[in-house]
Amino acid sequence: MSYHISLNRLRLLTAAAMVTVAGLSSATAAELIVARSVDADNLDGYKTSNTQSLQITNLIYDTLLTMDKDGSIHPGLASEWSVSDDGKTYAFTIRDGVTCHDGSTFDAAAAKASLDRALDPATVNPSLSAWGPITGSAAEGNVLTVTLSEPYGPFTSFLTSIQAPFMCPSSFAEAQFKPIGTGPFKLASWMRNDSIVLEANGDYHNTNPLIDNPGKPHLDKLTFKVIPEAVARMAALRSGEADLVEPSLEEATDLKDDENFKVYAAELSGQQVLAAFTWKIKPLDNPDIRKAIGMAMNRDAYASIAFEGLVNTANCPVAPNLFSTDEDLCASWGVTYDPEGAKALMEAAGYTADNPLKVKLLVHKLPGWDQMHQIMQQDLLAINVQAEIETREVAAFFDHMSVVNEKTDGEPAVWTMGMSGVDPDYLYFLWKRPGFVNMGLNEDLDALLEEQRRLSGDARAAKIHEAEKYLMENAYAIPLLSPGWGWLMASGAKVDGFKMGFMVSLLFNDVTVAE
Amino acid sequence: MQLPLRRKVERDFWENRLLMLFLILKRALVAFLTVLVVIVLSGVLIHVVPGDPVTAMMAQSVTATPEAMAEMRARLGLDLPVWQQVGLYAWHVLQGDLGTSIRSSESVAQLLLQRLPNTFSLAVSGLVIALAIGIPLGFLAAVNRGRLADTAVMVIAVLGVSIPAFWLGLILMQVFSLKLGWLPVAGSGWRNIILPAFTLGLTYCALVARMTRSALIEVLAEDYIRTARARGLRERQVLLVHALRPALISIVTVVGLVFAYLLGGQVIIENVFSWNGIGRLAVQAMLERDYPMIQGFIVVFATSVVIVSMLIDILYGFLDPRMRQK
Repeated sequence: MSYHISLNRLRLLTAAAMVTVAGLSSATAAELIVARSVDADNLDGYKTSNTQSLQITNLIYDTLLTMDKDGSIHPGLASEWSVSDDGKTYAFTIRDGVTCHDGSTFDAAAAKASLDRALDPATVNPSLSAWGPITGSAAEGNVLTVTLSEPYGPFTSFLTSIQAPFMCPSSFAEAQFKPIGTGPFKLASWMRNDSIVLEANGDYHNTNPLIDNPGKPHLDKLTFKVIPEAVARMAALRSGEADLVEPSLEEATDLKDDENFKVYAAELSGQQVLAAFTWKIKPLDNPDIRKAIGMAMNRDAYASIAFEGLVNTANCPVAPNLFSTDEDLCASWGVTYDPEGAKALMEAAGYTADNPLKVKLLVHKLPGWDQMHQIMQQDLLAINVQAEIETREVAAFFDHMSVVNEKTDGEPAVWTMGMSGVDPDYLYFLWKRPGFVNMGLNEDLDALLEEQRRLSGDARAAKIHEAEKYLMENAYAIPLLSPGWGWLMASGAKVDGFKMGFMVSLLFNDVTVAE
Repeated sequence: MQLPLRRKVERDFWENRLLMLFLILKRALVAFLTVLVVIVLSGVLIHVVPGDPVTAMMAQSVTATPEAMAEMRARLGLDLPVWQQVGLYAWHVLQGDLGTSIRSSESVAQLLLQRLPNTFSLAVSGLVIALAIGIPLGFLAAVNRGRLADTAVMVIAVLGVSIPAFWLGLILMQVFSLKLGWLPVAGSGWRNIILPAFTLGLTYCALVARMTRSALIEVLAEDYIRTARARGLRERQVLLVHALRPALISIVTVVGLVFAYLLGGQVIIENVFSWNGIGRLAVQAMLERDYPMIQGFIVVFATSVVIVSMLIDILYGFLDPRMRQK
């Protein structure tokens, strides 16, 4: 008995087999479990400033505008926008057909309601100042008009930030807040300190240039579990209980060379680590002493030893990738590693091995930072600066710094901190008098920081460069590294398409998980 | 003049009831005052610790001017003098209001109540395991005093007291979750309680074993035990009925102490096993300087410990008539 299979039938069978095989092997799993160290504290995007919360709100809500890797601004909920000649009025055209997770329409009126709530002092929005000098807003047709009392250069950058989400009015229509947005995922459930479950928004339309997938996320379900201990998170990753985790620095180092895992670093974190001084206290009021200390700091060693090569050295007081940041330009203004030169400067000022300058090295705890400070301590000792490390918990540290930075006498201190954002305007919050924890300098820098806010484009970039140059040539700020805290994620090899956006936002729209 | 027997029994009955009532009222009053003192002291201490909620909010990304931060403090009532903040808080607590979390904008009472069952179930599970292992071990050591079994139990007890709970927890996790794959690493389901409960149980069983041993050794030296033996009772009956039961009365105190330790001391274990109890909530609140949340935790924790201690005292009164007289 013989079997005759026609050519067409054979082709059909082959095609069916290929489809079946492809279906089995391709990325079809629709659920991803993410393990993080802490839970979100609030899903009301106007009441939180903590990264773990904003990582979730950024998935539920969209922003009016988006930002590409080069810092250029792109459409978001607003399909187009314009600014008046005097720079005080912005008109945003809200994209047609945007629907909220509850089915309601997101239009200009909804955008205005959300903006009004963001600016209402009763909301106690921690990011209120960053919205700028907004005096009013109006919704007409599909256009949201925002009026400012004076030009505000960082405005469009800030509108791309995860700190500036736009929520649907149904979120806050009742006393009990409900997280309802237009983002790629909608909230299914939240058990505080345990898990947040999100479901894909089937109507999603993407405009973020960092994301390839134009429509609904490939994942159907996204679960965020809270596993505080790094060891337990890694155990969850290895046992398959979690697909994507926040690894510790040490574990990330091991995983990056293991083909079964992938390590992701948020290159667009906007994070910047710097050293600063209690410059009102002698002898740190002397720029040469500050420069000498900066020249002694071996940033390459901090990056390669303390941070296991998972960060880059930084030249600017603002993170790379942000508007106007030019690492080469900053390198020409700042101090370079030169321990011999630094020692000579210190000796010229009368500080020798027998008579070292005694300073405090005031720091707070973060992964990798302890080791960096220990290397820094050795660096300083090599130029006759005896630094005593004092470590505090973060809130206590900043409280202490606000006191120490005001002092004009007492023991001088070198201190380190980190900052993040989507625009160099964070220089304003840090350095304009009185400044964050009293870091403010003088009226010259105040003027530069005020002026950059009123400018845009190249003129603004030039003014920001002036401010950066001032900080660096006078060695008020010694840029060290970027990024520097909580910027790592790790997954199994089967996870594909995961990306990290600005300010360590987590982008899941392109994610697929192979079976 | 002697009272008729019936009247004497009746009088003793009511006297006993009155004594118990007096004991309960006294303990309740002391408990209330203790919680009040805890509220005031903790309120003052929290504000003495450097850093406030607004500074903590700005730790990762400064998006507020100093003026805006001052405005936020005023809105949150953090600009008031400490005594006023503490006084207002105590007044609200007395009215049954634990306030609203600064970070989550949710009711502190609701947040705590959601997690309290998890914390209690873990504490009770840990306690049951500690007792189930500790009492037999202590018994074994006491009846074999000075022998190999006694030494072995005491070595185990010293190890149990010395081994940090988080280390033991991580080892158990490595073995049972990662190597054997029997139990989950993290979460708050019924399978998730096994590892943290055993970690706590194994840690505290050492204390229970030591207390059982010393209590039993003390009882075994009593005259009535010698009398029981002299009367020819079997050793098993002497140990289990005449010695162990009175010894267990002193262990009740230890149970109260261990339970209090378990309520407060499981913060680390909750973190290791991602157990969603009030301890983890408290740790996060402390880092964020979420004052109402921290104070709420302290009030609930202190109240729980005080109530447990009170119940233990009352139970002791029922078990040991001498306590009522005292």
